Amino acid sequence: MDEMEKWKNGSDTDQLSKDEEKIFDEIGLNGTSRRKFLKQMSAASLSIWASSYLTSDLLASPARTLPDNPEILLNEVRVNLRVNDMVKQLALDSRTSLLDALRERLQLTGTKKGCDHGQCGACTVMVDGKRKLSCLTLAATCEDKEITTIEGLAENGNLHPMQEAFLKHDGFQCGYCTPGQICSSVALLEEAKNGEASYVTEDFKDVKTDLKLSEEEIRERMSGNICRCGAYNNIVQAFKEVHSGDDEMPTWEFATAKQMEKAKNS
Amino acid sequence: MKSIKASGIGNPIDRIEGHLKVAGKAKYASEFPVENMVYAQGVNSTIAKGKITSIDTSEAEKQNGVLAVITYKNAEKLKNYPKDMTNFSLTTVAPVFQDRQVHYYGQYIACVVAETFEQAQYACRLIKVTYEEETPDIHLDKNRGKAYKPGESADFSRGDMDAGMREADVTLEQTYTTPIEHQQPMELHAAIVNWNDGKVKMYANQQILNQATTSISETFGIPKEDVQIITPYIGGGFGSKLNVYKHITMATMASKMIGRPVQITVTRHQMFTNTGMRQFDEQEMRLGAKKDGSLTALAHHTTSHTAKNLQYFEACGNVSKMLYKTPNNAVTHRLIPLNIQCPSSMRAPGEATGSFALESAMDELAWKLKMDPIDFRIKNDTQVDMGADKPFSSRLLIECLRIGADKFGWENRKMQPGTNKKGNWLIGYGVSAASRRAPYMKTSAKVVLELNEAAVNANIKMDATDIGTGTYTIVAQTVSEYLGIPVENVKVEIGDSEFPVTPGSGGSWGAASYCNGARKACENAIAKLKKKQNITESEEIEVAELLQQNNLTTFEAEGTAEPSEEYKKHSVFSFGANFTEVWVDKDTGMYRIKRMVNVGSAGKILNPKTAYGQIIGGLTMGAGMVIAERTQVEPNYGNFITRTLADYHVPVNLDMANIDVVFLPEDDKIANEMGVKGIGELGITSVAASIANAIFNATGKRMRDLPITPEKLIEAGLEPGVA
Repeated sequence: MDEMEKWKNGSDTDQLSKDEEKIFDEIGLNGTSRRKFLKQMSAASLSIWASSYLTSDLLASPARTLPDNPEILLNEVRVNLRVNDMVKQLALDSRTSLLDALRERLQLTGTKKGCDHGQCGACTVMVDGKRKLSCLTLAATCEDKEITTIEGLAENGNLHPMQEAFLKHDGFQCGYCTPGQICSSVALLEEAKNGEASYVTEDFKDVKTDLKLSEEEIRERMSGNICRCGAYNNIVQAFKEVHSGDDEMPTWEFATAKQMEKAKNS
Repeated sequence: MKSIKASGIGNPIDRIEGHLKVAGKAKYASEFPVENMVYAQGVNSTIAKGKITSIDTSEAEKQNGVLAVITYKNAEKLKNYPKDMTNFSLTTVAPVFQDRQVHYYGQYIACVVAETFEQAQYACRLIKVTYEEETPDIHLDKNRGKAYKPGESADFSRGDMDAGMREADVTLEQTYTTPIEHQQPMELHAAIVNWNDGKVKMYANQQILNQATTSISETFGIPKEDVQIITPYIGGGFGSKLNVYKHITMATMASKMIGRPVQITVTRHQMFTNTGMRQFDEQEMRLGAKKDGSLTALAHHTTSHTAKNLQYFEACGNVSKMLYKTPNNAVTHRLIPLNIQCPSSMRAPGEATGSFALESAMDELAWKLKMDPIDFRIKNDTQVDMGADKPFSSRLLIECLRIGADKFGWENRKMQPGTNKKGNWLIGYGVSAASRRAPYMKTSAKVVLELNEAAVNANIKMDATDIGTGTYTIVAQTVSEYLGIPVENVKVEIGDSEFPVTPGSGGSWGAASYCNGARKACENAIAKLKKKQNITESEEIEVAELLQQNNLTTFEAEGTAEPSEEYKKHSVFSFGANFTEVWVDKDTGMYRIKRMVNVGSAGKILNPKTAYGQIIGGLTMGAGMVIAERTQVEPNYGNFITRTLADYHVPVNLDMANIDVVFLPEDDKIANEMGVKGIGELGITSVAASIANAIFNATGKRMRDLPITPEKLIEAGLEPGVA
């Protein structure tokens, strides 16, 4: 498994290697934008970050090609997938879900398979700006649609404000539902702007645009994305901060010496 | 080193691998690009007991792209379970397709390997199987005669229970039941396996690499050093990824057979029948107390089930051995073999369910005694673990309860149920005490220092895993602390079985073990560098200067930390208290958790941000035990009726509410040199009881069977009065 070696060797590199240089060039980061990006990332996470790039969508086979066997694809369909502002032409088995096309053919593994049944939200992407479950979407139906995945949210090396907020508020633990949570949150910002109603909207007759979502509204509208680690409260804080612009404060504290003394002796 | 940098331990820094996770760049087991890879998919039995009489794979094999179908007919011979009833441990072998027997519904009976996922999935449906079906043992009630004691550790007795009950002024005898539950981490179990020349390498989401490589090597009869597992990120485990399950065996077998790397992803559906579960527990509690509230007797008898060929039990009664002071104590566990898959560890096995029974019973007895439930618990506090006859290394349970009561506003609680109302809502407050053993195990690490001008970069390697617990971050903070360098200069490499051995992630031992192992490697590096220059150990000197004095630009050291003699002489636990406010609709039985307060005493908090995540995660899963989680078993066929996330309900965002967490400053150097204690399972412990107790306080109804669904509350009758 050459990739395994490559991945491991890659992770041993502290300095920017030639490969890493190449990554930055490939993702269009040079000059100021690269310096800005590097400033944001700690050295530690940069090396992990770069090493995972080494074997991901850029340096390995960008689109997985199937063995040269004309019979291998049943009901072959050719689809132009417009993902994160790039167009990729794929020959797909007609049964392929958008999720599997992204993960298995385009190596865009940021979109996660959590249940493959539309029940957990981990595979949420944005199709033409709306959040959509990619596991319930056939790739063949996505011709000419604008697909945005988690990999497409950062711009010029700057994380999307929602990604920053999830990081700051620890809106995840294992990280597996995270891309779906973030795509949902980003799309939800737009839904609020457009004044779309939800299950807990109090008055359907009087829905305004530019909604300021209450905590109840946020929780309801984010309930399609399961987080088994249970980071919901942090996810709500991250969303609120981006939505309202106000800083959210942590809800943990340490007991003071005075509290400890009182508790011991009362 | 003494100089604590801002990035050392104790600070709420963001997760160091967080950028990768929010950018979708963290690579999980099934996501590595591997050339020439093919896809495997398992096929499951549709009976719970019997024998395969025929299996026709011809139609599947004819399909384009299908490379192999493996069944008992063509599977290689593997090491089978050593006994008729084998203890299911972390190193137990994982044989598959070794005979025609079916022991439970959903057992793998075939595996299809194909060029694409779609082809494999479709071909699975074309396999035709006939069975000679037998009546499975599914009912606990119908099989009670088969209950047996699963080993010496299952029973415990101290004093004289009957005498204790006679001495009591007030007694309580109640039974509490908790259903089968499933861990269901968000990341599906998955692996990419490559068998090459008798050696196997895999990306696989295993929580404990050193035990998993043992299991795989024994299953296939190859040396342990020829098995390598790589897993830099794991999308949650909750116990389900502790053991090696049979998908690993299927993919390994397939790779060996066809000579190509094989990817296997267990479906969400299969994760109900093939990757473990928490067992159903029936817990009978007997408690007696004097009028002043002192316990005279406490008994905890658990009846549960196991598989027909594998034995596992969660020790629900352990909590009743150590949490309270009582002169008379009895604990038993019994198992009934059923045709259901073998249960396994799910977050806080034993404690999560055992504490529901104990802490509900304590609340019931407090009510009978007309005592405040906090006062009742404090009255029976003990600084000695009477079950183990050892002192606790540190126990701040009273502080947890009192500080939590202040934070929560316990004084506003109405003692009389059903008297705190707001419109249609009945409002209740509940409390419970939590305890979870805080183990610490032998752990090794290797640190490589590099001098780069005046700065030192450190690279730490260990076979630890991060299942969302924050391993990357707390290990980086530890290295930063003990080398006196900024956390940005630390690179953490984990998740590779070829790195120095750790006990892995599970059982709340990860943080303490990993960090002490990392500490020891750093301390050894510094000690060796000092020794070379005859510098005394106590002299304070920057690590960069040490390298310079030694004329070195790079230096590496290994270290192994392990528990001290003092540790072994004590009982080491984390403690906590949970407070919950619930609002119950008096007509519909629907209820909402309005807020929660958790106080935790878990030694040195390495990073309050990630520790908070562990606590709220535990509280959420604990809330799930009460509001929804229940795997329903079809009583005739033994299949799970709830087998997707649409019918096995786990908490969603709207189910949860604000949670305030208070950490107690605790200095417990008996636990380990850094004073770190586990927190990953403390959070789920006794949460269920605090919610059930709040429901009692709101409604006057005792709900002793989880989950507490609205229809159960309606059936209990929400009319005024106390049950």
